[in-house]
Amino acid sequence: MKRRIDIPLVATLSVLGFFVFIPMLSAFEFSIRTPLKGGYGWDQYIWAVTEEDFMHYILRSGWLAAVTVVITLLILVPTLTWLHLSQSKIRPLIDGLSLLPLVIPVVAFAVGAQISFPEFMQNTVLELPFLYFVLALPYAYRSLDIGLSSIPLKTLTEAARSTGANWLKTITAVIIPVIRGAVMATVALTFALSLGEYTLTVLLHWDTFPTWVTYVAQENLLGAIAISMMSLIIPFLVLTGLTLLAPERSAQRRK
Amino acid sequence: MSSKSLTLKNVTKKFGSVLALDNFNLEVGVGELVALLGPSGCGKTTALRVVAGLENQDSGNLYVGDKDLSETPAHKRNMGMVFQAYSLFPNLTVEENVAFGLQMRKVSKHERKKKAESLLELVGLPTQGQRFTYQLSGGQQQRVALARALAFEPEILLLDEPLSALDAQVRVNLREEIRRLQLSLGTTTLFVTHDQEEAMAISDRVGVMSHGQLEQIDTPDTLYNKPATSFVASFVGTMNRIPTQLSDGQVQLFGKNFPALKSSNESGSVIALIRPESIGITAGSQDHNAKVLTRLFMGASSNIVCQAIDGTIIQSLMSSNESGDLHPGSEVKLEVLNKEVLVTNA
Ligand SMILES: Nc1ncnc2c1ncn2[C@@H]1O[C@H](COP(=O)(O)OP(=O)(O)OP(=O)(O)O)[C@@H](O)[C@H]1O
Ligand SMILES: [Mg+2]
Repeated sequence: MKRRIDIPLVATLSVLGFFVFIPMLSAFEFSIRTPLKGGYGWDQYIWAVTEEDFMHYILRSGWLAAVTVVITLLILVPTLTWLHLSQSKIRPLIDGLSLLPLVIPVVAFAVGAQISFPEFMQNTVLELPFLYFVLALPYAYRSLDIGLSSIPLKTLTEAARSTGANWLKTITAVIIPVIRGAVMATVALTFALSLGEYTLTVLLHWDTFPTWVTYVAQENLLGAIAISMMSLIIPFLVLTGLTLLAPERSAQRRK
Repeated sequence: MSSKSLTLKNVTKKFGSVLALDNFNLEVGVGELVALLGPSGCGKTTALRVVAGLENQDSGNLYVGDKDLSETPAHKRNMGMVFQAYSLFPNLTVEENVAFGLQMRKVSKHERKKKAESLLELVGLPTQGQRFTYQLSGGQQQRVALARALAFEPEILLLDEPLSALDAQVRVNLREEIRRLQLSLGTTTLFVTHDQEEAMAISDRVGVMSHGQLEQIDTPDTLYNKPATSFVASFVGTMNRIPTQLSDGQVQLFGKNFPALKSSNESGSVIALIRPESIGITAGSQDHNAKVLTRLFMGASSNIVCQAIDGTIIQSLMSSNESGDLHPGSEVKLEVLNKEVLVTNA
């Protein structure tokens, strides 16, 4: 085949490079400067990981994000499966509702959520995953929705049930593995969004990794940037690891 | 064998205002293969889905053996089902697909593998176990689906047009294999199809459906030779429809009288139903009553299309040897070879 230049691809990559990679590289360059000695070095990174609160906050944000992912999948996969199978007339309505978090100001949402939560939830940091779930909903919903639309859901479900799988087994042993790509995308989106969420967390007076970074930045800007760089890279490595660890069946497809 | 009989009693199912099953009754004996045949939309698939538990009937009951399964959820019915659409699980290998039902029944891994291998052998795919389903042809996929439906030794096997997506040749081979397997395993089977040849070829009995009801259920021979209603008569096989007069229980066709079957004594205009192979053609006769329009050569037999003097188009099926000298335009004498004639209202 003749090699030719894929113009849309090049354009996308250029725009992406301009808006994502250049700022990231600049931030990185900035974070490894050593103004006192001149030149470059890893000083700020060493400072960051030896800072005692670093591990504390990154772990806390990590497990909050993990809980958010679990909540998201537990709620969305069965709901969307049901919406797709029942061909319910309310599906367009739910599609629309799932977009609301994009248009509701976070301040209004934070205050409203705080009031509507039962009292025992208001005093535990576990309220955050539920709120993060709502914030991630527009993206998680779309991703799973597309995944479910791309498979013969009805036939597969009926085949599973008539072969002896109850609903739980049908979802865990058939539907989720079949839309694995969409599920992984949902996990990645939700995890990343939860890990980086700042506004809502601050409004509700909780301390997580992003709020701690802002706090640190007031004292040591270079250090804060080093931390941010790590907070970008660590989830990336975690997610890549997850993707590689899980047995990749669809990869065999391409052999 | 774990096979059981299957009984549907007064099953009714509505979709909005559409009556898909109307007081539907059906009995399938132990180890029997019954095909449901009928025009599109008559409720065949719905009947099968109600049996499988994938659709809930509005009223009526379903029995397997003497167990009432009317309210049992699909996954507990122990019925194997093969769908019209390809329905293999794309995330699993062929062998894992076949073993799926056993896995759901908590059979040990070792047993599952053994059973899956033996079934793949039975359906003629002994070396394909480790492949993925997208690597198989349509016919192979349906074989795997059949193996998957049979692996857990279901009490009933349900097939919803499993062959309709396949090429003609594959279809014929596979239907014979289905029948061979079904006979050797002795599994009670309900087979839905709109292909009458397919239904007639492999079934013990064929049920002809129309408008959510069973019009007639009988052996293929009875259905063909003694259709109970004119709907069955015209749906199964080809029928010539010849307008004539009924009087004193007799109809006149080409100058001869025949006793009319299944008719009241009233007289008047009726339509006689005659199979093409029951129309005899004599060439070169003085008292000809028709003209040959075309002759379709089909190998051992030929299909002769004639036009009677009154304009009625009549088909005859004859051996090709005997019909060699019939050409378009030949003047011929038609006669009915039956002793009795089925009639229907004009
Ligand atoms: N899920 C459904 N919702 C609404 N109407 C339905 C549904 N399923 C079937 N019907 C209607 O019920 C009637 C019987 O349908 P069914 O699928 O049983 O027919 P069939 O005999 O299998 O036809 P075909 O040969 O075309 O497959 C049809 O009029 C159909 O439109
Ligand atoms: Mg159908």
